[in-house]
Amino acid sequence: MSSFWLKRSRSISSVLLQNLRTKTGTLDSSQFLNSIQSSQNHTVLPSGLSSFLLKALKNPSGSQYQQFLHRNSKGGFRFFSTQAVTEPSTADGLTVEGIVASQWTILDESESDWKSHAAAIAQSILVIKKRLQWNKLMVRLNFLSAELNKPNLWDDPVHAGRISREHGSLMGKMKEVKAFEQELLEHIDMIKLAREENDTELESESLKALLTMRRISNEKELEALLSGEQDPCPCYIEVQAGAGGTESMDWAAMVMEMYKSWAQQRGYKVTVVDEMPGEMAGIKRATIKVEGEYAFGYAKSEVGVHRLVRISPFDSGKRRHTSFAAVAVIPIMGDGSTRVQINESDLRIERYRAGGPGGQHANTTDSAVRIVHIPTGVTVTCQNERSQHQNKASAMAVLQSRLDQLEMARQAQMNAQHTQSLTDISWGNQIRTYVLHPYRMVKDLRTNYEVSDPDSVLEGDLDGFILSYLSASLDKDENEG
Amino acid sequence: MKLSLIRTYSYYTFPNFHKPKTQSPSLCARLTRPVCSTSLKPKTPLFLRPPEYSATLSDLKRWQDWAKTLSSSIGSSFLDSDNGPDPSLLCRELNWLIEDSLEDHSVIPQLGIQDNSKNVRLKVDIAELYSLWKQRIEGRKPFQYIVGCEHWRDLVLSVEEGVFIPRPETELLVDLASDAVSNNEELRQGLWVDLGTGSGAIAIGIGRILGTRGRVIATDLNPLAASVAAFNVQRYSLQDVIEIRQGSWFEPLKDIEEKLSGVISNPPYIPSEDIPGLQAEVGRHEPRLALDGGFDGMDDLLYLSNCTALLLKPGGFFAFETNGEKQCKFLVDYLENDNAGSFCNMKIVSDFAGIPRFVTGFHQ
Ligand SMILES: C[S@@+](CC[C@H](N)C(=O)[O-])C[C@H]1O[C@@H](n2cnc3c(N)ncnc32)[C@H](O)[C@@H]1O
Repeated sequence: MSSFWLKRSRSISSVLLQNLRTKTGTLDSSQFLNSIQSSQNHTVLPSGLSSFLLKALKNPSGSQYQQFLHRNSKGGFRFFSTQAVTEPSTADGLTVEGIVASQWTILDESESDWKSHAAAIAQSILVIKKRLQWNKLMVRLNFLSAELNKPNLWDDPVHAGRISREHGSLMGKMKEVKAFEQELLEHIDMIKLAREENDTELESESLKALLTMRRISNEKELEALLSGEQDPCPCYIEVQAGAGGTESMDWAAMVMEMYKSWAQQRGYKVTVVDEMPGEMAGIKRATIKVEGEYAFGYAKSEVGVHRLVRISPFDSGKRRHTSFAAVAVIPIMGDGSTRVQINESDLRIERYRAGGPGGQHANTTDSAVRIVHIPTGVTVTCQNERSQHQNKASAMAVLQSRLDQLEMARQAQMNAQHTQSLTDISWGNQIRTYVLHPYRMVKDLRTNYEVSDPDSVLEGDLDGFILSYLSASLDKDENEG
Repeated sequence: MKLSLIRTYSYYTFPNFHKPKTQSPSLCARLTRPVCSTSLKPKTPLFLRPPEYSATLSDLKRWQDWAKTLSSSIGSSFLDSDNGPDPSLLCRELNWLIEDSLEDHSVIPQLGIQDNSKNVRLKVDIAELYSLWKQRIEGRKPFQYIVGCEHWRDLVLSVEEGVFIPRPETELLVDLASDAVSNNEELRQGLWVDLGTGSGAIAIGIGRILGTRGRVIATDLNPLAASVAAFNVQRYSLQDVIEIRQGSWFEPLKDIEEKLSGVISNPPYIPSEDIPGLQAEVGRHEPRLALDGGFDGMDDLLYLSNCTALLLKPGGFFAFETNGEKQCKFLVDYLENDNAGSFCNMKIVSDFAGIPRFVTGFHQ
């Protein structure tokens, strides 16, 4: 083995050592150093640390390296206290919270900038922690540990079993996140070290590893954001024009187009279920069905009233107008979930536009159907299918989902749960403003997230708004919880 | 029997069909011969044709713009004159025509883009599209004849000029039959008839709700209707369940000895005097044989009721479509008095426009 490798292995180990020291404070460092020393003499240690490390360094691109870090951070070392109360940090004391606080700019994935990767990962970790209600989780864990340490615990084996199971499960969750933090910080250490040593190969390998982590953390963050029972469901998105005639109907059509493009860009399947055109332009109301993974989870963020300020293209006086469109999002629940039973006798089914004696007298392709659910007054119309039967079937499907949603809201209210996304849209419930004139901006009134390019938003670039709303809802959950 | 069979032929005369009452056995055989062997070959609906043509998206767009302008130009004139289509309905039909003409629907959103020289495959020549839309607007040709199909219930049925286009109201007849068999296994496994089947709509609807042993015989006097119905039956692979027989009402059923579990019909019911004032799409294009129900529109309904009383088995179900409240009431009254004791559980059922449309009941 060349002395070059030995030199490096020593220096990296010392980084790790410092790292470990800050973490536990109780590590017997001489013992650890000894281990590393002996590994240089090609002896395999019981802990396996050095041989792993050396192999990893010889073949830094291999998955062993990853695996090593993983094993390492997952508690392959017995020196770790499983309590892990102290905050993991890098050699120079940087923590995950610290990274987020430094507000490093997050660039596109394709930019090879370690700070950007690190910042993105750190942010995802924070979101994941929020979802887990981290602070509460720690308090609970401490409580459970204290319980477990009670000498008379096993006097009541049922209670003890429950406590230890919960402890095990929370511990598992916590360790997973900690391991992830650990991995991030170790990669940062590696990069800093590689730079010190002018080792471009190691630097680029570590950067690659960070990018992989960034992708994984992105997925995990989404899982954390979209953990509602209905989130994975397909959904209906309904847009309705507010008061103000053609002006608002045009705006409603723009909003609907925005969702169609958004959904298509995400790879969702979009079907127009119902569309009621305005007399001159736009739509009075329309419903689309959006199918694909987590369609409801994302789209639910859009529920509420959307306001537009612009110079009206319909006003010859070129005055500024404000228009409103209301958006409702309804999950389409799978057959597995409990669904409201609909009684045929509770329905009034009507042709939407009747007239004349009908039957053999009339030839029309207009087979629009309106269904009124008498007990709740919920009304659904459908006119986009080519047969009345199919229009009725689509309308029934929409009605079913609406009633399911009402029922869910009712139950949630009974359980005093958070029902933000389910509240009925009232015209006061404004969530976002789109200004095209006198300046250009789209701003979400719930999160204050804003962008200065309304065109891109209207072309369906909504994910920024959606994600910021979803993580803001997590904050709310955490504070309320 | 009060009514003569011969009357119904007077609108539509076929050389072989005179005086069926006294027909010879050979004529009877000809009347009930399998339809597949007739020389009338149904036209293939547009959406089923091969994409043999092509055009650039901008050419298609130019045609669409032209067709939209033409559709808008009529304003409310059709609506005002005979309750015909308005521009918004015509524009919806235009979109469906595009759907049926295109091989690949995913290009439709690109139609908005100007100057798109991308080529798309079409099932009809673009010049033909101009002519078709002219026929739609200027000739008031029903949209269903333009595209050669009608979406009815969850079916897409082939139709063509000369064959009645199934109406949305009639979809309910299948639901009524479905309700009747829903907890009656005997009816579900029995023999049903659809009289005056047209494109085969009702027969196919019912064929799909019957049990494994259930069968439907559908008849129509119009040979073109019979061959179109046979085509549709084949498209839904129901040849083993549904038999199409050409002939007048119950005439082609003479060889059937078993009593019927169900009789369903949407016979012509428009009073003769209303025929001249019909909506242009109907009056100018649909076969009069399918529409004209005689003086008060009740000729065929009354005739069918009489035969039904004789052929339905005890507990058997019938459902007829009518022209509205007046005919419904008249029919129920007639069945209760003139056919006293034959039927029970009679009901008048309204369509989705709230118009009393159907009479249903069971044989005693
Ligand atoms: C109103 S159309 C109904 C067609 C089809 N059942 C539907 O609902 O779409 C009436 C049908 O009865 C047929 N018809 C008229 N007179 C008939 C007769 N004497 N025997 C058999 N069918 C007849 C016509 O050809 C036409 O197809």
